[in-house]
This record gives sequence, C-alpha cells and structure tokens, in this order.
Amino acid sequence: MRSRIFVSMLILVLLTIMLSTLFLFAVYYQQLSKDVEREMNNGVAYVSAGIKAVGYDYLSEIDGLDRNSRITLVDLDGTVLFDNFADVSNMDNHRDREEIAEAMSEGRGQSVRFSKTLDSHYYYLAVRLDDGKVLRISARADSIFTVFMDNIVLIIAIALVAFLILLILARQLTKRIVEPINKIDLENPDESEIYDELSPLITRIRKQRSHIEQQMVELKKKQDEFIAITEGMDEGLIVLDKMGYILSINNRALELVGSSRSDQTGIHFLELIREFQVQKTIESALDGKFLEKSFKIENKIVELRANPVFEGKEVKGAIVLLVDVTEKYRAETIRKEFSANVSHELKTPLTSIYGYAELLKNGLVKEEDVQSFYQRIIDEASRLITLIDDIIKLSQLDERTTDLVKEKLNLYDRAKNIIGTLELMSQEKMITVTLEGGDAWIYGVPRLIDDLIYNLCHNAIKYNRPKGSVNVKLSKKAGRVLLSVKDTGIGIPKEHHDRIFERFYRVDKSHSKETGGTGLGLSIVKHITNYHEGIISLDSDRDKGTEITISFPEA
Amino acid sequence: MRSRFDIQLEQLNTELIRMGALVEASISSAVKALIQQDKDKAKEAILADQEVDQKEKEIENLCLKLLLQQQPVARDLRLISSALKMITDMERIGDQAADISEIAIYLSDEPFIKKLETIPQMAEETIKMVSLSIDAFVKRDLDLADRVIEMDDIVDDLFMTVKKDLIELIHENKDTGEQALDLLMVAKYFERIGDHATNIAEWVRFSITGEHKNEKDNLLR
Repeated sequence: MRSRIFVSMLILVLLTIMLSTLFLFAVYYQQLSKDVEREMNNGVAYVSAGIKAVGYDYLSEIDGLDRNSRITLVDLDGTVLFDNFADVSNMDNHRDREEIAEAMSEGRGQSVRFSKTLDSHYYYLAVRLDDGKVLRISARADSIFTVFMDNIVLIIAIALVAFLILLILARQLTKRIVEPINKIDLENPDESEIYDELSPLITRIRKQRSHIEQQMVELKKKQDEFIAITEGMDEGLIVLDKMGYILSINNRALELVGSSRSDQTGIHFLELIREFQVQKTIESALDGKFLEKSFKIENKIVELRANPVFEGKEVKGAIVLLVDVTEKYRAETIRKEFSANVSHELKTPLTSIYGYAELLKNGLVKEEDVQSFYQRIIDEASRLITLIDDIIKLSQLDERTTDLVKEKLNLYDRAKNIIGTLELMSQEKMITVTLEGGDAWIYGVPRLIDDLIYNLCHNAIKYNRPKGSVNVKLSKKAGRVLLSVKDTGIGIPKEHHDRIFERFYRVDKSHSKETGGTGLGLSIVKHITNYHEGIISLDSDRDKGTEITISFPEA
Repeated sequence: MRSRFDIQLEQLNTELIRMGALVEASISSAVKALIQQDKDKAKEAILADQEVDQKEKEIENLCLKLLLQQQPVARDLRLISSALKMITDMERIGDQAADISEIAIYLSDEPFIKKLETIPQMAEETIKMVSLSIDAFVKRDLDLADRVIEMDDIVDDLFMTVKKDLIELIHENKDTGEQALDLLMVAKYFERIGDHATNIAEWVRFSITGEHKNEKDNLLR
C-alpha cells in the first residue's frame, strides 16, 4: 500500500511539475515574443529617424554597436545595400523576401521565420523609407525547447526536492492511514481510535464478530448435545476416520475396552485395542463392509458392530458400537440350560410311566407285583404334575402376571398352617418342627407366600437327618420382617451357594429319586422373594445344617 | 500439517502394533491347540506365522525406507532401530508359536500322560508377557517394560518345574518318555517366547530412554 500511495503521489507531483513548467514557459514565451516585437518597432522607428536626420551614413555609424539586432537596408531592386551582420557582396537579392515585398508594396512588412540550423525564431520587420528603400530589422528569439533546455537543471533540481519531500510525506501518510487499522482491537472494535473513513470497517468487524460469536455458541451447543448424547449412551461409541484414527470416543467405550488413557482422540484405534479379531472387524468396516462380532475383554463379553461411513462411494470412516452383552449372554445360557433341563426332567418320569405301562400291557408283570407297578405309575405321574406345577409357577413369576394381588397378611398364621400340613411328613422322619415369634404383617400374595414357606419348610424336613429339628422363626429388624428357617440337616457345601437358586440346580447331581424334588423349589423361593422386594440370605455348610433367612418390608 | 515423515513414523507405529496383535493371536491359538487338543487352532497358528513373516518383511522395508530417505536422528532414529530389532523378536515368537502348534497336532491324538498344570500356567504367563511388552510399546510405558523383564524369572522358574516333573514321570514309567520330551520342547518354546518378550521390552526401554541393558552391562565390565 505504501508503495502504491508513493507512486501515485509521485505521478501526481511529476505531472504537476511538467504541466506547470509547460504552462509557465508558454506564457513566458508569449511575453518574450511581444517584447521582441516591441523592441523591433522601437528599433525601426529609431533607425529610420536616424537615417532621416543623418542620411545613410547613420547606418555605418551604428554598425558594430548593436549585435542583437540585425539591420539590413535593401535597395528598390532588392539589392542589399547594408547589413551589419554579413558581407553585402555575398548576399543575394532580397526582393522576394516576404517582409520586404510586403513593405515595398504596403510600406510595412513583417514575418517570422524559423531557423532550424540555429534552432531559433527570427523576427523580421521591414519599413519602406521615404526614398523607396527598405529598412529591415531582425531579432532572434530562442524556441521554447531551447529555453526549456537552458533551464533543465533547475527543473530537475526542483523535481528532486519535490521527490524527497514526497518520500517523507508518503511515508508519514501511509503510516497515518495504516496504523489505526493495525491497532484496531478486534475484541472491542468500538474502543479503537480511528478516523472517520474507517468506521464502516469497524461496523463490519463488529457485525462479523457478533455473527461469529453466535455461530460459536451454536457449534458449542451442538457439540455439547453430541457429547451429552454419546456420554449418556449405554453403548460404547467410537468414530474413526478413514485411516483408523479416533475422531471421537465416549467414556463407555473406554470403559468397555478397559483403557484409562485420557487423550484418546487423534490416536490410532490399534493403540486402544489391538485384539486380532477386533482389528479385523474394524478394518473390514474401513474397507466398506459391515461386520458384527462378539469378543471377550477381561471378564466382559462385548459385541462390536463396525459400520462403514460412506460419502458417495468412498469410505470416509467408521462408526464402531460396543455393547456389553455379558448379561444377555448369561441369560441366554441359563435359558438354554433351562430348556434342556426341562425336557430332561419331563422325559424321565414319562419314560418310566411308559415302561411300566408297556410291561403291564404285555402281561409281563407277575400278579403280586402289579399293585406296586400301579403305585409307581401314580408316583411318577404325580411327580410329573408337581414338576409341571412348579414350572408354571416359575413362568408366571417370570412374566409378573398382574392377577397376583398383594394383601396384608400375617406370616405367623401362614407359617403355622403350613407346618400343620407338613406334620405327617415330619412325623414320618421323626423331626420336630417349632415355630418362634409373634404376629408379623407384610403385604404379599397369599398363594405365593404359602408356596415360599412350604418350599422352605419342605426342604428343611426333606434334607434333614432322622430325629432332627426345624426351627421357623419370625422377628423384626429395622422396619423389616425376618422369616428364618433353620434345620439340622445335611447342609449345603459353600461351593454350591452361588448356584443353588438356579433352576434345576442340585447339590446332589444324581437327581436322586429318593428325595423326589424337582430342583425348582429354591428357584421359586427366590423369585417369590424378589416379587415381594425381599432379600434372601443363606448360612450353611456341609453337615452344619442350613439357615435361610428372608427379610420382607413390614406392612 | 503433518509431514510425510511423521505420517510414515505413525504408520510404522501402527504396523508394529498390528504385528504385535498378530503374534498375540498366534500364541493364544497355539496354546488353545495344545491344551484343548484342537488341530484347527494349531493350523490357524501355523498360518498366522506366515502372516507374521510377511509383516516382518513389510515393516523391515518401511524401516529401511525411513532410514534412507528421511535420515532420522535422536528419538526417531531410536524408534526405528528398535523397531528393526523388535520385529525380529516378534517373528521368532511367531515361529515358536508355530512350532508349539506342530507339536500340538502330534499330541492331539493321544491323551496326556499327566494332567497339564504347569504348562498352561507357563502359557498364561508368556501370553501375558508378550501382551504387556506390546502394551509397553503402545503406551511408551517404562514401568510395563520393567514388569515384563521381571516376569521372565517366573517363566524360567516354571520351566525348571516342568523339567523336574517330567524327569520324575520318566523315572516312574519309561513309556511316557516320548510325550514327556515333546512336552519339554513345548515348555522350552514357551520359555524362549518369554525371552523374546523380554527382548521386546528391553527395546521398548531403549526407544524411550536411549539406554539398552546390554550397553549398561558393557559399561560395568
């Protein structure tokens, strides 16, 4: 900018100097011509007056006095009689010279001729004297160019001075123009010291600023939204660019891959997780193929879905979703085991019934054994019915059917009734069943609570030793009702504690027919407890007896 | 703006991690093949070894290209030179995994002479060592590298235990000799894998600190 300002100023100044010089010279020259003319008029007047007074000798008198003006006397026929500049004998006839011809005919003649050789103008003035001879005076005037050339040094000097002044001025001017612009405080444009011409710029800067601020706020908001969404997700989310570098990753993803690095964005995904299968899955996504795979990280089973991101036909990156499927996987395994167990448990009694019935039909059974065969069929059938009942109960509890209405009930009364129904069984095994405690009210579904107490007591008697005891105790603690059933039986070894509430899980793997259980009792107990927001606890070990305590919220 | 050199260095980094992952996968396949007597897994490990060899050549080329074209100095030079050493160790680990798999195929047809106890433990420790040594490289973590170097003693001790057990077995019953020798080989391979993992860890140490264990030893002498 500075150079442009300088150049334009320079052009301006040069132009000014040139034009003013030209103009000055034109005016000056005009003036000069006029002066020359006047001088010649005077000269002619003096010389002709002189001739008149003194005669032609006057001319020879003034010869050599004035070297500026050329004085010529021409005879009537054009012969030059006198000239103070040149030798008369060498001069040719002057009659056809413009000014002389004019003077001869008109009495006075004038002309201006340009002499290229001398680069000068020659002014001629001729007057006819009284005797018919013509007196001519001529003077030389320099051309404008010559005058100009004579003064060129001066002009250049002026131009140089102007140029120097210009240089300083231009520097200061540009500084004055540019400095306020450079000093504008972009944060607070209004507070800057500026000159008027800059105020539109300031206004625009201000507008731009507010526009940018607004956009920043919007962007920030969008980003916050994105972060809020991704951080709120239960799935891990990783966004990768096409080279596999991480663009964005949420905390859940970090948690699932078990990484504790803080600066995750910008690094390659391999630095985060390099497990071979995972690598293949993600790389195929970066190649444009969607893949889904489950793999194990530490103790978790994580499902990984790698989606390529396309822009047109080109893969621009990948989005990787990580889902913790450990629970799902476990639930699925349990379900698979359950259906396998159910089929097995249902098949066993049916096979027996089928076998006995076939033997009876074919008459292969001795007369005295027939009764016992019938009894066996009945036993197996009733076992089957119990089993199916239990399964139905469990599936009802699984589905949480709504027709189960809770009401206020007294656990003490319920326990007493059930102990009554089990009396026959306990007498058979010579077991004493005692009930401790007083009224204990809870909200519950009577049928389910009965099932629960029945199952606990039934187990306590069934897995007891002959002449053992079962103690059912009701107590209250911190707003909860505790129901505990303690026996002196065979106990449950510690290693089975985790699993005894699972369906069909038996401590005694032989599925012993002797005890006749279905393996569903404790599972039902657990489900009913959960349904009533109860907490179940188990205290038992091999040959140490078992105590199961369930706490319910007090009504 | 990242320069071409930075991009190539980054590429070297990810390629090394890739090779590491490949090696990890091939050892765990080999271990599964051995313990579960699974021939398919063994074949997987043997195939993986070829891939590991291929990767080694690729990384070697990349390293040489970097050295020639970019003439790196200081840290970068250390990274590249230790990469050149590390890939040799990784490649050896891959070979040993393939060797274990070959023995596993041979062993998969007959029941083990004795329930495997120490060897799975050794396998677990060596896998952990390899894994940690690569982790140490990925995270540029000196502590992890040192842990790997310390773990080598555990694997060495386990090898001695295996050796003693097998000697006893042969004493008791001379017919078990053949399998016992195979198992000893397997144990030796694991022990070697442990050594290679230690080497990797040492090179990781070198790339971070510029000091290699061998140099220190030389200075002490």
